[in-house]
Amino acid sequence: MQPRFTLFPQRPISERPSWVTRIGAETVSNWWFFKRLFATLARAAAAGFEPGASAAAVSRRVTVRQIFFTGFEALPLVSVMALLVGATIIIQAQLVSPLPGEVLGKVLVAVVLREVAPLTTALVVAGRSGTAMATELGNMKVNDEVLALVSLGINPYRFIVLPRLIGTVVSVLVLTVYFGALAIIGGYLANALIGGPSFPAMRAGFTEALVPLDLPLFVLKGTGLGVIVGWLCCHFGLEVGASPTEVPQRASQAVVFGMLACVVLNTAVTLAFYWIAGPPIH
Amino acid sequence: MSGLALYNAWFSYGDQVVLRGATLNLKQGESVVVAGANASGKSTLLHLCAGLLPIKKGSLRLGGSVADGLHPGELFRRGVRCGVVFQEGGLLSNMNALANVALALNYHSDTLGLSQSDVEERARLALIRVRIPEAQFYTLPAHLSFGVRKRLAFARAIAIEPNFFFFDDPDVGLDPATAALVHEILCQYRDDPKVTMVVGTNRDLLIERLGVRGMYLRNGELHEQTEGAHSIR
Repeated sequence: MQPRFTLFPQRPISERPSWVTRIGAETVSNWWFFKRLFATLARAAAAGFEPGASAAAVSRRVTVRQIFFTGFEALPLVSVMALLVGATIIIQAQLVSPLPGEVLGKVLVAVVLREVAPLTTALVVAGRSGTAMATELGNMKVNDEVLALVSLGINPYRFIVLPRLIGTVVSVLVLTVYFGALAIIGGYLANALIGGPSFPAMRAGFTEALVPLDLPLFVLKGTGLGVIVGWLCCHFGLEVGASPTEVPQRASQAVVFGMLACVVLNTAVTLAFYWIAGPPIH
Repeated sequence: MSGLALYNAWFSYGDQVVLRGATLNLKQGESVVVAGANASGKSTLLHLCAGLLPIKKGSLRLGGSVADGLHPGELFRRGVRCGVVFQEGGLLSNMNALANVALALNYHSDTLGLSQSDVEERARLALIRVRIPEAQFYTLPAHLSFGVRKRLAFARAIAIEPNFFFFDDPDVGLDPATAALVHEILCQYRDDPKVTMVVGTNRDLLIERLGVRGMYLRNGELHEQTEGAHSIR
């Protein structure tokens, strides 16, 4: 019987590959995906060591612009989010049962500084700048802009990927510190508003909870999350082929994979911190 | 400097083989026109010859250096300057006309020995040569007409003073006056003994005007044109 013609006609069943072939093809495709993914990071890292002082100067200028777009322009959004998140956490903690000031200070360190600040910042950067990066690079691929750069002797990994990668890492690190500071202020303000424990008691708990290991944890999380966001968004952008319809698909994949990878890395670093430092951590 | 040596090049997009053992040898200063039906692989061949795409099998040498598209800066530092004019321009959409032309000059200013003022002067001269009015120097490509964008792509390629020139349908979609300007530029480079040139086109007028060696692509194979220019398609 002649198959009915539909709005989205497909290849006849007899011409479609068997499920064994499809599983094989999917496995090979995944292998190539990860190979290309790591190749992007390796090429961007190698591009940083290429000779050429003027090329390095151009790359630096692009990096500064990237930090401005990713870091500086995100400040208003991060400020509002940090204040509200810090306030919400303290209000929720007081809702469970009225806690002494020292415990609340420790909650701010453990929850806000160590977990919420780096993760939320990375998610904000992925959602705000990651989408923009993946879309921009995807459009550049479609419009032959990347090929044009190569034709001019410009390494796209040095001119496009590396500045975005460095820009994202610097922005996530700085925004994480900024987020943490504002979230703590938000927490203190909320505590004062609902008539919670005194400020000196909270500060005592806060200082007591901070340990020397917090610094490497903070830097490791900020750097790692920044690398993930910049790397994945650039990679998926450059994965776009010739079709403009691939651009939104790749941008969406970049952000989804990026967010998932951020959560996984954040959990892994927290677990490592747990094994190295405690419990209890002091 | 020696010319272009493409030997037994194979290229495919997935399962679709586009080029089957294409071989093209050009001495320095030699020019060739490559013709072929739509989707015959002219653009792919040009990109391959310019070292922009990785060859699946075979080899490419530009000016005696292996060109694999992975180290474009290295090739530039060895003196291989490829000017490529893409079918759709390939202009950087977030940079204005002057910045588009000046980018490569800025990036390679140490190799080329150019100061900031030299870079600006050379970029301006390239834009003036292709008759882009000064009022449009600071306009983004998206706000320029197709003809101006095409000329801008020429200016960008000209500015680096290339010794290899690749043109993909250089006069398609242009009005007669602009097309004549493009033909004039192509003829100047054809007559330059330092420039090796490959032009991908099906336009009889341009083929006749250039009057150089002709080749054609059919079924992924590159053949020498032995009869008249009109029989290549």
